Amino acid sequence: MRPLFIFRLPAALVVSAAPSVVLAVVWHAASPITLPLWRDIAIVTGWLGTAMLAASTVLMIREPHLARLLGGLELSYRWHHRVGVLAYLALLIHPLALAFGGWAQSPHVAWESLAPRPRGWPVWLGWGALILIMIGLAAAFARQLPYRRWRGLHALLGVGVLLGFSHVWVMLGEPVPLLAIVAIGVLALAWRVLATDFGLAALPYRVTSIARPAAGVIEASVAPCGAALDVMPGQFVLAAFGRNSNYAGCGEYHPFTISAIEAGRCLRMTVKALGPCSHRLQSLEPDAIVRLQGPFGSFLSEPHDRPELWIAGGIGITPFMAALRAEPRSTPTTLIYLYRATSDAAFLEELERLAQTDPNFALFSEATGDRTPTVDALTARVPRLNECRAYICGPPAMVDAMTRRLVELGIALRHIHYERFDFRS
Amino acid sequence: MMRNLFITSTAVFWLAVAVFWVADLRYVDGTGERHSVAVERTWTLEQVSRHDRAADCWMAIDGTVFDLTAYLPQHPSNPAVILPWCGKDASTAYRTKTRGRPHSAYADRLLTTFRIGTLIAR
Repeated sequence: MRPLFIFRLPAALVVSAAPSVVLAVVWHAASPITLPLWRDIAIVTGWLGTAMLAASTVLMIREPHLARLLGGLELSYRWHHRVGVLAYLALLIHPLALAFGGWAQSPHVAWESLAPRPRGWPVWLGWGALILIMIGLAAAFARQLPYRRWRGLHALLGVGVLLGFSHVWVMLGEPVPLLAIVAIGVLALAWRVLATDFGLAALPYRVTSIARPAAGVIEASVAPCGAALDVMPGQFVLAAFGRNSNYAGCGEYHPFTISAIEAGRCLRMTVKALGPCSHRLQSLEPDAIVRLQGPFGSFLSEPHDRPELWIAGGIGITPFMAALRAEPRSTPTTLIYLYRATSDAAFLEELERLAQTDPNFALFSEATGDRTPTVDALTARVPRLNECRAYICGPPAMVDAMTRRLVELGIALRHIHYERFDFRS
Repeated sequence: MMRNLFITSTAVFWLAVAVFWVADLRYVDGTGERHSVAVERTWTLEQVSRHDRAADCWMAIDGTVFDLTAYLPQHPSNPAVILPWCGKDASTAYRTKTRGRPHSAYADRLLTTFRIGTLIAR
C-alpha cells in the first residue's frame, strides 16, 4: 500500500466530523438561549458520534473506485475500525453530559436524564443503539472468535448504528440540514448490505477447471458468464462460490488474489485451505458458479523504473504468479520464495521454468521449516539491493519482520510495498 | 491501543451510570421532591402574552399557565421551534409537537413542575 495514502484518511475523518462540530457551534452562537456547558457538550458529542458513525459506514463500502480513492480496502477497513471506536467514545460522553447537566438541579434530574424508562421510546432507541454498538465492538476486539460468530456479532453494530440514527431523527423533532449526515450513513449502510453482502454488485463467473498446485491448495480457472472484471496483476477480488450438483460453496464473500489473467478475461484464483470455507473450497468442482466483486488493491502497480525485489511467503506467491504469467519482466526482478516444505510450494516448477526463460527474472527459493525465515543470506545475492523497489506478500508477521529488515539493509520505506490480507470483512 | 481504549471507556461509563443511579436512590430517600408552587394564581391570556421572550417565557397549555424560562435551555429541540410559543396558548403545539406526535409521559410530569397557575378567560 502506498504510504502517501495514509494521510488521506485522517483528512477524510476530519472532513466528516468537522461539519457537525462547526454547525453545532454556529447554531449555539446564533441561538437566542444560552445553553449550559454540559448541554453544549452533550449536543456536540451527540453530533460528533453520529457523524463518525456515518463516516465509519462509508469506510466499509466495498466499491473499487471508492476503495482506490481512500487508499485501498485494507486501509479503509483499518480506519473503519478506528473511526467506529472514536464514534463510540463520543456516544458514551453524550448521555453522561446530559446527566451532568441535570446534576446542577438535583441528582434526581440527573438520573432521569439518563434513565430510559421515564422518558419513553426515543431514549430507549438511544440506549438500544449504545448497547448494541458496545456488544458489537466487544466482539470486534475478540479476534479469537470463530469467523462466523464474529461476523454475526459484528452485524449487531449495523443494527446499533441504525437505532442510533433513529434516535437522532426522533429526538431532534424537526428537519435540520445536519440530518444529511444521518442520510449519508443510512445510504452507506444500505449500499454495503445490498451491493456487497447480498452481492448485487457482483458479476457471475463459471468454474471451468481446477488445478492442485500444492497440498491443500487449489487453483480455480473461471470464465465470465457475461460482463467481466478488469483485473490487473497484483489485485484481489471478493468471491462467493455457489453450488453445483456435488458441491456447495460457502455463499459468503472472501478475498482471493488473482493468480492469472488469461484470454477472454478468464481468471485464475488460488485458494489455500486456511479456514472452514477455504477447506470446503478444496472440493470445488467445474461448473460451479462464483460471484466476483472488485477488483481491489494496487499491489505491483508502481512504475517499473528500478530493479525489483519480490518476497513471497507461502500462498503469498499468487500476485507474483499473475504478474509473471502476464508478460516477461521489463525490469530486473528477483523473487525470494519462502515456504515451509517443498510439498507446500505452489507453482515452484513453473517458477523455475520462468527463471530459465526470462533473462530479467531470478528465483531464490527456500524451505524454511518451522523456523522464522531470515532473508539476509538470500538478499546478499541480490544485485543493487538498496536501489530496489520491494514487494512483500505473506503472513502479517513475516511482512512486518521483512519490512524492518529491508529498511535496515538500506531500502527506502517509500520503496517497500506489501499486501497481507489480514482484514476481517 | 484501540482495544484498551474500548475497555477503559466502557468501564468508566458504567461506573458513572452506577454513580448517578446510587445518587438518585440516596437523594429520594433524603430530601424528597422538587419544588412545588405553594400559591395557586390565575392569569389571563393577555397577562401571559407579556412573557413572550426567551428570558421570560410563559405558556398556557390546556388551561394551565407555565413559566418555562428556566426550562428552555434544556428542551431537546432547536429553540426556534419552541420560542415562538412564548406568551401564547401552546396547547395544540404541545399535544402535537407541531408534527402530530404527543409529548412523553416524562415531559408531562416535567411540565407540571413549571406550573404557576391557571388560565382564566379575562
